[in-house]
Amino acid sequence: MTISSQRSRYPNWFLLPTILVFGFLFVIPTLTSFYYSLTDWNINRRVITFIGFDNFIELFSDIKFRATLSNTLTYAFSVTFTRNFLGLFLAILLNIATLRGKNLFRTIIFLPYVIAPVVIGYLFTAIYNPSQGILNQGLRTIGLGFLAKDWLNDPNIALFSTIMTDVWRTTGFSMVIYLAGLQAIPQELYESAAIDGANGMRRLAHITLPLLAPSITINVVLALIGTMKVFVMILVLTNGGPGYATEVMNTYIMSTFSLGLYGSGTAANIILSLLIITIGLPVLLLLRRREVEL
Amino acid sequence: MTAQRHLQHTLLILLCIILSAIILTPFLMMLVNSFKDVRESALFKLSPPSNPTLENYITVLSKPYFWRGLRNSLIITTFATVFVNLFASMSAFIIQRKEGKLGKILYFALFAGIIVPISIIPTIQLMMQTKIHNTYIGIILFYVAINLPFSVFLLAGFMKTVPREIDEAAVIEGCSYPRLFMLLIIPLLRTPIVTSTIVTVTAIWNDFTAPFYLISDSKKWPIVISVYNFVSQYYTNWGTVFAFMMMVILPVLVVYALLQKHIIASLTTGAVKG
Repeated sequence: MTISSQRSRYPNWFLLPTILVFGFLFVIPTLTSFYYSLTDWNINRRVITFIGFDNFIELFSDIKFRATLSNTLTYAFSVTFTRNFLGLFLAILLNIATLRGKNLFRTIIFLPYVIAPVVIGYLFTAIYNPSQGILNQGLRTIGLGFLAKDWLNDPNIALFSTIMTDVWRTTGFSMVIYLAGLQAIPQELYESAAIDGANGMRRLAHITLPLLAPSITINVVLALIGTMKVFVMILVLTNGGPGYATEVMNTYIMSTFSLGLYGSGTAANIILSLLIITIGLPVLLLLRRREVEL
Repeated sequence: MTAQRHLQHTLLILLCIILSAIILTPFLMMLVNSFKDVRESALFKLSPPSNPTLENYITVLSKPYFWRGLRNSLIITTFATVFVNLFASMSAFIIQRKEGKLGKILYFALFAGIIVPISIIPTIQLMMQTKIHNTYIGIILFYVAINLPFSVFLLAGFMKTVPREIDEAAVIEGCSYPRLFMLLIIPLLRTPIVTSTIVTVTAIWNDFTAPFYLISDSKKWPIVISVYNFVSQYYTNWGTVFAFMMMVILPVLVVYALLQKHIIASLTTGAVKG
């Protein structure tokens, strides 16, 4: 019996459940969304008509939508950068072999990642409370009262406050990926570098960071994809406000949906998909090229 | 030298303690304030309650929708996770072994499913047309669809390490493919199935978006939506809100404390394997 004939005996019907469920509830809605985005479909219409790219033209001429796009990108890049920077720092710190209690610290720092984001959102509305929240109370106690702000209602800093909440929630996840990457680096490399007289900074720049490139790639790409899809965190913290200072793609889509503007909301959803693909894929390819094979 | 080392170590430990405090303080605030009355809890102080009260917990536990939410979350998460694991193992088995055209197309479509966000409005429309909007079966199938891609990748990656000779020997002995799959392959996939279970359970249990859009009947809301509605009702009584949220995260905290090593490893495996 040849290998290929034996392979062909594996029954294709095993793929059927996945094809049916994934095809029905992911592929079909994704494909039909292209059609709906080109129509005037809304809650008051029985018959929907094809209107070409009108929804897209209307969206891009809407100042609120343009602010939404810019907020989404600011949010995604800020969270991604900050949580990777902190995550890498924490991973290096908690990878020190002699550090006592490092497993406990890892467990604590990862903890927010397993809690429902809706709970974390409400927790932070209490923390950011301008008069009684522990953030402002703490700042006043240590004599930094001038830094106390109305974190979620001041349009200049509301987006920053939501970004910091997500950084608080997800840094532990980035840290753990970096930890796994660090543990895969052969110890001998550091030993021979030490013999050659390389100091800590040089070892970081010439061994740790280049060999950590695969972890950096996956961390950055996952963070970008995830943060561009942010929804519940913003919904609970600010609901897009004040004004539209913290409006992001998914809260914008929700508001068009509740207004019954289905065609327009679907068009916004397609713009979000394109945004994720056009940013996610090049970043993935760019970072991949810089990876070093172990 | 050793004195300097010692000082350095102490400073690092101190840094770790400060960082842990930044993570734990919000949880501590929630815990102490859940035992305070309306007026005291509105101050959000970290100090222990002056008159500890269980009133907030009694209020929460006497709400039928708290228990209903918990039950709904349990039903939806359990069924969706079982189907995700079953369908994903079946697909991973064929995709990796057969290396056929259909499997390759499916694999590519699933890859797109990891990156491309769902189109929520057409999904609602489709589910309404097929009469599964606002039903358990509808949301379960939806969760199966969006969680399948990750699990298929994970299991297909692991299938490579299961030697083909096992299949060949079984088939020569006259074993059918479904029997081979159930009796030999599934037990060998135990480790990645545990990982896939942890990832799927966490994703579904904490998910807000799907029930927010797909379930309009309050009797079918999972616990995460109950929190959302509870807070909008009790916004003025933070003590009760904190008690409700404590009850929601309690099962998660217990499981996390017991299985933390497994959970951390699982939630990051997919990422590390890339």
